[in-house]
Amino acid sequence: MTDETLGSPMVEEKQSSWLKRLLKRLEPTLWVFASLSIFVGFWEFAWWRGWANPLLLPPPHIFLANLPDQFRFFDPGGTRAGALATGGSIFSVLGVIAWSSFRVTAGLVLGFTLSLAIGIGIRYFRIFGKLMLPLVTMLAPISPVAWLPVAVFIFGIGNPPAIFLVFIAIFFIMTLATLSQIDSVPVHYIQLARIMGCNKRQIYRHVILPAILPELFVTLRMNLFAAWMVVLIAEAVGVGSGLGQVTMMARNTFNASLVFFTMTLIGLTGFTFDQALRYVQRKVLWWVGPSSVGGL
Amino acid sequence: MALGLKVTNVSKTWNPDGPEPVPAVRNLTLDVELGEFVVLLGPSGCGKSSLLYIVAGLEDATEGSVTFDGLEVTEPSPERSLIFQEAALYPWLTVGDNITFGLKIAGQTPKKQDEAAERLLRLVGLVGAGDKRPHELSGGMRQRAALARALAMEPKVLLMDEPFAALDIQTRARMQSHLLNIWESSKASVLLVTHSIEEALALADRVVVFTARPGQIKAEVPISAPRPRDMRSPEMIDLAIQCEALLAEEVEKSFKEQEQELA
Repeated sequence: MTDETLGSPMVEEKQSSWLKRLLKRLEPTLWVFASLSIFVGFWEFAWWRGWANPLLLPPPHIFLANLPDQFRFFDPGGTRAGALATGGSIFSVLGVIAWSSFRVTAGLVLGFTLSLAIGIGIRYFRIFGKLMLPLVTMLAPISPVAWLPVAVFIFGIGNPPAIFLVFIAIFFIMTLATLSQIDSVPVHYIQLARIMGCNKRQIYRHVILPAILPELFVTLRMNLFAAWMVVLIAEAVGVGSGLGQVTMMARNTFNASLVFFTMTLIGLTGFTFDQALRYVQRKVLWWVGPSSVGGL
Repeated sequence: MALGLKVTNVSKTWNPDGPEPVPAVRNLTLDVELGEFVVLLGPSGCGKSSLLYIVAGLEDATEGSVTFDGLEVTEPSPERSLIFQEAALYPWLTVGDNITFGLKIAGQTPKKQDEAAERLLRLVGLVGAGDKRPHELSGGMRQRAALARALAMEPKVLLMDEPFAALDIQTRARMQSHLLNIWESSKASVLLVTHSIEEALALADRVVVFTARPGQIKAEVPISAPRPRDMRSPEMIDLAIQCEALLAEEVEKSFKEQEQELA
C-alpha cells in the first residue's frame, strides 16, 4: 500500500484526499447509523425468529410501515381524545413535537437563568446564601414527579404545569452545580482581578460568570434528557397534548405500534436537541476548546 | 517619606487559630528601592511566596507592616502587580483583551485600549497574537502575555512568583533576558521569587536568601556585575558557590523537618 501511495500520480492523490475528506465529514453520521442498526437489527432478528410477538413488540418495519395510519393519532391541539378515522398529516406530527419541544425549551431557559441567578446570589449575598442554601439542598432530592400534583394545583391544566415541571427538574441541580462551579474558579483568576482593580461586582461579572458558564452548559446538556422525561409525564397527566399525551393514549388503547412510533419520535427529537445544544455551546462559549465541548 | 517597598518585622502564620498553625515567615525586614531588582531565593515551601502575597495585598500579615511609597498596604493595587507561575490568562478573552483587562476595568476608551494592546504586544514580542486565544499560545508566549498584562497597569513594582519555573530551560533563558530588557526600560522595581540559583544570579541586583520554614532572611548577596552576566566568569562562579552553600544548609533543614512531620 505504501508503494502505491508513493508511486501514484498527483491527480489520484488529490482524488483520494477529496474522498478522505468526504469520508471524514460523513464519519459521525455513519457511526450514528451503525449504532442504530445494531439495535434495529437485533429487534428485527427477534421478530423473524418469532421471539418477539409483533402485537406487543412490533419491530420498526411494522410500526413504520403505515405512517398515515399513525399520523392520525397526532393532534397538536390535543382535542382528539383518541384515534380518528381520518385526518392527521406529517404537519400534525411536527406540531405535536413542536409543542413538546417548546415546553422543554421554555423550562430549560427558565431553569438555567434562574438557577444561575440564585446560585450567584447565594455566593454573592452572604445572608441570602445562608437562608437559601439549606432550602435548595432539601428540595433538590424531591423527584419532579412528586411536584406533578403541586404543578396542577397551582397552574391547572395546560402548558404552565409542564414547563414548571421541566423547570423543577433542572433548577435545584443547576443551582447546586452553579455553587460548586463558583467555588472551583481558579483562585489566581480572582486574585488577578483584584490586583487589576475589580470590585466584587466586577469580579462576578467579568471573571466568575464567564469562568463557570462552560461547565454549567455541560451540566445543562446532561440534564436535558431528564427534562424530556419529565415533560412526557407532565403531558401524559396534566396537559392533554404533546408526545406524552400520545404515548399515554397509545398505552390506554393498547396500540403497541403507536407506542414505539412515538418513542422513536421522542428519541429523535431528544437527539436533535442535544445536537442543537452542542451547537449553541460551541458558538456561545467559543473559548472552550472543541475537545472539552465533546464528551457525552 | 520613604519611597519604594518597606517590609518591617512581618510574620505570617497560616491557620493561626487552628489546631496546627503553620508559621510561614517570621520577623522579616526587607526594603526594595525604586527600580531595584531583588530576588528571593530559598528552598521550596520556605514562605517566600507568602511574603509576595502579603506585599501584593492579597494576604494580611499576622504581625508587622508593609508600606509602599510610605503608605500602608492593606489591599491589592495595580501598582503592585503579581505574576504567577502559570500565566492565568482568562480563556474567554483573546490575548489582546487579556492584556487590556485592567484598562477596561479602569474605564479607558476602547481606542486607548487598542493602542495599549498594540504597544504592549510589541514590547513583549507578541506582535500579531492579539486576536489569538490563550490556549493557542505556547507556555513562554502565555507568560509574556501575562507580563504585558501586568505592564499595562504601569506597576511600580512587579511581584513575580517563580514566573519561569514551568518553562523549559531554553525558553527560560530567553524570558530572563527579555524580562531584564523590559525592566531596564521601565522604572519599576522587581521582587522575584525563585528556587534557582542560576536565575537569581542572572537577574538580581541583590539576592535575598531565605531560611527553611518559617522563612527568615539568612543572608543578602549584592551583585554589581553588569548584565548580561556570564555565568562562567570567576566572579559569578564564586557567587554561585556562595549561594549554593547558603542554600544547601536550608534545603537540608527543610528535608529533615519534612521527615519529622511525616514520622
